[in-house]
Amino acid sequence: MTTVTDQATTTLKKGFVGQSIPRKEDKRLVQGLGTFFDDVRRHGMGYVHFVRSPYGHAKIVSIDVSKALELDGVYGTITGDEVAIQTDPFFEMSVEPGGNIKDYALAVGRVRHMGEPVAAVCAATRELARDAADMVEVEYDALPVLTDSEEAFKDEVVLHDDAGSNVVWSGVFDWGDVDQALAEADHVVKIERLHFHRFSSTPLECAGALVEYDRGTGEWTLTCNHQMPGVGAIWMAPALRVGIDKLRFVTHDIGGGFGNKICLHPQYVVLCLMARKLARPVQWTEWRTDQHTANAHGNERTFLDVEVAVKADGEMTGFKVRALDDCGAFPRYEPLGCIIWAQVTPGLYAWRNIRVDFTQVCTNKSPVSPNRGYSRMQHLWLTERIIDVVASELGFDPVELRKKNYVKTEQMPYETPNGCVYDSGDYAAALDLALELIDHGSIEARRKDAEARGKLLGFGIGSTLDSGTNNFGQSTLLNPDLQFSGNNEAAAVKLDIFGEVVVTLGTVPQGQGHETTAAQVVADILGCTPDQVNVRRGHDTWFNSHAGFSGTYASQFAFTGLGAVKGAAELLRDEMVKLAAFVLQAPEEAIELAEGFARIKDGPEEAALPFMALGAIVNANNAFLPPDFNPTLNHRYVCRPYFGMVDTEKKTGQLTLTYATQIHAAVVEVDPETGVVDLVDYAAVDDCGVRINPQIVEGQVHGATAHAIGAALSEEFVYDEEGTLLTSNFYDYHVPHALDMPPLKTGAMESPSPVAPLGAKGMGEGGGGGIHCICAAIQDALASAGKAIVYDSCNPPHRVWSMLQDPEATRANVSVTSR
Amino acid sequence: MLLREVDYARPATVEEAISLLAAHDGARALAGGQTLVNVMKARAAAPDVLVDLADLEELRAIGFSSDGLLEIGAMVTYAQLVASSEVEVARPILAEVAATIADVQVRNRGTVGGNVCVSDPTNHLPPLLVTLGASFTIRGAGGERTVPAEEFFVGVYVTAVGEGELLTKVSVPPSAGAGDGFSGVTIGVHGTYIANAAATVSDDGVRVALGCVDAVPVRATAMEEALAAGDLSEIAVRAAAEGLGATLDPPADAHGSADYRRRVAEVSAVRAVLQAAARRKGA
Amino acid sequence: MAGPARSRTISLDVNGEQIEYDVPARRLLVHFLRDDLGLTGTHVGCDTGNCGACTVHLNGEPVKSCMLLAVQADGAGITTVEGLAQDGELTALQQAFNAHHALQCGYCTPGMLMSATALLSKNPSPSEEDVRIAIQGNICRCTGYVNIVEAVVAAGKGT
Repeated sequence: MTTVTDQATTTLKKGFVGQSIPRKEDKRLVQGLGTFFDDVRRHGMGYVHFVRSPYGHAKIVSIDVSKALELDGVYGTITGDEVAIQTDPFFEMSVEPGGNIKDYALAVGRVRHMGEPVAAVCAATRELARDAADMVEVEYDALPVLTDSEEAFKDEVVLHDDAGSNVVWSGVFDWGDVDQALAEADHVVKIERLHFHRFSSTPLECAGALVEYDRGTGEWTLTCNHQMPGVGAIWMAPALRVGIDKLRFVTHDIGGGFGNKICLHPQYVVLCLMARKLARPVQWTEWRTDQHTANAHGNERTFLDVEVAVKADGEMTGFKVRALDDCGAFPRYEPLGCIIWAQVTPGLYAWRNIRVDFTQVCTNKSPVSPNRGYSRMQHLWLTERIIDVVASELGFDPVELRKKNYVKTEQMPYETPNGCVYDSGDYAAALDLALELIDHGSIEARRKDAEARGKLLGFGIGSTLDSGTNNFGQSTLLNPDLQFSGNNEAAAVKLDIFGEVVVTLGTVPQGQGHETTAAQVVADILGCTPDQVNVRRGHDTWFNSHAGFSGTYASQFAFTGLGAVKGAAELLRDEMVKLAAFVLQAPEEAIELAEGFARIKDGPEEAALPFMALGAIVNANNAFLPPDFNPTLNHRYVCRPYFGMVDTEKKTGQLTLTYATQIHAAVVEVDPETGVVDLVDYAAVDDCGVRINPQIVEGQVHGATAHAIGAALSEEFVYDEEGTLLTSNFYDYHVPHALDMPPLKTGAMESPSPVAPLGAKGMGEGGGGGIHCICAAIQDALASAGKAIVYDSCNPPHRVWSMLQDPEATRANVSVTSR
Repeated sequence: MLLREVDYARPATVEEAISLLAAHDGARALAGGQTLVNVMKARAAAPDVLVDLADLEELRAIGFSSDGLLEIGAMVTYAQLVASSEVEVARPILAEVAATIADVQVRNRGTVGGNVCVSDPTNHLPPLLVTLGASFTIRGAGGERTVPAEEFFVGVYVTAVGEGELLTKVSVPPSAGAGDGFSGVTIGVHGTYIANAAATVSDDGVRVALGCVDAVPVRATAMEEALAAGDLSEIAVRAAAEGLGATLDPPADAHGSADYRRRVAEVSAVRAVLQAAARRKGA
Repeated sequence: MAGPARSRTISLDVNGEQIEYDVPARRLLVHFLRDDLGLTGTHVGCDTGNCGACTVHLNGEPVKSCMLLAVQADGAGITTVEGLAQDGELTALQQAFNAHHALQCGYCTPGMLMSATALLSKNPSPSEEDVRIAIQGNICRCTGYVNIVEAVVAAGKGT
């Protein structure tokens, strides 16, 4: 039975929910008994290796696979020409001209980024596939390369002839009256240029799939690690010219996703074609180098001509900016990033007058994907840079300036200038907690101590919001013809014949502990223990407990995923109570579910039915039930959050429902001779409302912080002028190892969400706060050595050193006009 | 990612190893494999024959020669260097630096011989062994010869070890009261060096070698001469390093411009010398 | 003396079991373990020997199995993550990982366990710094290492 409803929050009696229960997933994972897709074998399977472009931009003159096919053990090949005949280009979300881009599963006629797949070979072993790939001869004619978004915007070299322009999407967002605010301001602070760099979360398990084709039914089974199969199928089915039901996605354990396993449809379509063509299962595991060059980067965004209106007392009344987003060679999930940031338009601040002139362009770099923090992180970095630049230029204390301008807790729920509603939170209190954890009072003493050792100490704060539970209607603000709106997630809970509680989820966990938290929620509702709740691992189309937007992304599991679990469990509970009441001949109000029994409250011992009895009755012994009573003990529930419609004219509406807060604080010591930045102290405070499992929440904070530290200090996808990615492996793309991490203190607050089914907000993407606070801390450290302005989100030693050498070059970026 | 087809042999003696290397044109010695396996995965090089030195116990010894030189077999691992009481007594800087190479797994396999024979400009040991005045023993079909550090490192990935030859040991003079230092900037803690410097301060004066800035370690001879007078105060050392960067022509890459490397080379040279000076016996 | 050969019959102990197998010289140890022996607990996370997800014990010492050829393991003793728990009984370290939430996606976990197990056998009560050095060659993208360090220290103290 399926039910759809709007959200009515109920307070769940806290039992297992709220406890840091050790995870159910761990037992298999610590024994190496997890099943990651590459662990799965099929008889007669072939291994696939992609032949990839070494060029950033080139015409494909010819492809010759004949020598590869001669190699013993090679099963077959596929090229772009075949793909162009057998498939249609993938669905594009943008309006013209960007919407006219043709994106196929393999390069057709032209390559547009280094690493773009041009052909694929399939062979009996991994090594043979690799050998065969070397024997595919591809002739290229190099074309001029675009690696700079400002250059791309000029359209002197156009990447996609079908579009005729490199602009994927552009539009102006204008709320309030920023021109008025600037006119009335006591100070106008201008920042000419800020740059948010390219990096990604690089999950340790690379992407991939094992694909089987059933010739009898025309169905494909993809045993894979796609983290958003609903959307994957929407892209793939029309391209393959089949119905969605011909694609079965099966996931087991996934080694991290972080948004990097969303745009896998091009490679998966190639695998589907090969499985069908070669009549055998085919398997592809992405190489690390390929993940870095050709899978998914985070959006790179340049902010130009920022103008901020500030009153004499420090109240910031508005800002305007031109944003230029670089989505790489193909939009794919884009241009959604052009609107997603608007979920947090004002950041944590109360200003009401904001204009964003947003343009997204293609360049000859890896396509982007919704990397952890997707588009909000970039925008929140802008607002935090603004606060710190305003503070430093006008002589305000960054803590006081934030408190003055933060949205106040009394204002919650707070409607932003573009109609989003911040559901709850106390930013000032979270900031105070962060300051306490980092011992803010001792900063100046520590600064002197560092000075004596020849180091420049700096302190910085990063505030961030983790907006969760997306309204896909926001896509219509980009393209009014799109037929997407709302959101949903499904789950099913049943009682089996022997009384076992079985849960299937629509989500696709990659480490977030869904099996455990779902079991906690169900246990509280059914009156049993989490050990008695069996949550099936992973996602399977055939579980039929998924919906169109199913997946694990966008910080929404605690709302939609657990909301669906709660809904299904409550339907099951109600039915169990009704059945027990019938069997025990008691009124329903007298029945309780507790300790694994359905029993009469305070009744005699015999008046208790174990779950097994209920399961057996319904499944095997149901003749005595009256004809009008048909319990199934098997319920599927779709959690559909309610948003209302968006206004495409004003570009307003409720774009997300929940807003978790994270406030980060960092203390750095900069070596002025080398630019090396040492993170000597760090605190992160998280408020995601009710915490289903506090330990799991804290783990997410740790991980997101590590991602931010890596991004802020070393992780950068650097291209040279030929479009060659220079940081394609873990030597050059340095991620934090154990010795790179600072002493990390965390604090938690709970401002329950009034709109979420369990009062729990989605979380996990708040780590951007780390990038913001490290930038702020470096700027603070450099204040006594030339007062450079931090203009880039990534500050490895050479960049910090340059800022120390020539602070004036960065300061020329900033100007203040005062009345 | 995956290697090309290759032939593999595991000789039992050094003589067997040398004759295998001489007999096959595209043969390469396999020591710890922490670089060679990567190179072969990337297919940047594809030797036809791998001669695995794993069974050559003779190359795993750490000991002293009759004239007191610390002798380190070419197959001695970084982990062995770190744990060696001989190294600790004779030239502890070797263990100190080896302890910062990558991680435990790499240190359990990576060898001294591999580190120097690769002659990667960013490797830890080449500049260090240059300042320590190490010598390298090479054995071939024609016999054995010993080569000083300056002549050992010939170019990027090129050393004095020729076809059909094998490095068997590295000999390092004991400290005898000298102080050694090593400093630089890495990509992350214990990561690859962006620029570094090694220094030794002894009765014979100051030796400084820079890594990462050229194909092979570069002696900072002008700086050494400026410090010959014996004043090793911070002011003097900084003054001696002035202009060092301008003499260099380092590469530029994603981790730094040529100017940045020049600067880090200067700073590292200063810090290495000060470290060495502080550790010198009787300093 | 046998001349160079394209493949070799290797003889080795894997998790206490004596194995004989004919392998191509070019096969990496990690693929031998995963694909030939079906021991899929050891994982591949990168292609340049940085991430440590492939860490196993070679004669008791942690090494990256993607940086070794299977033929190099001839005559050696290999322990993988599958060899830690005996008869389904988790080791104290494995239990500590569970108790302290030291894993999220679980992909780096086998490698972490191998590095930490080796540390504990040499240093039964390691400090936080000792642990960080021991797992420096194991990349994790989920946990930030915080709980991993806590778990290993706790396992060392027997808590």
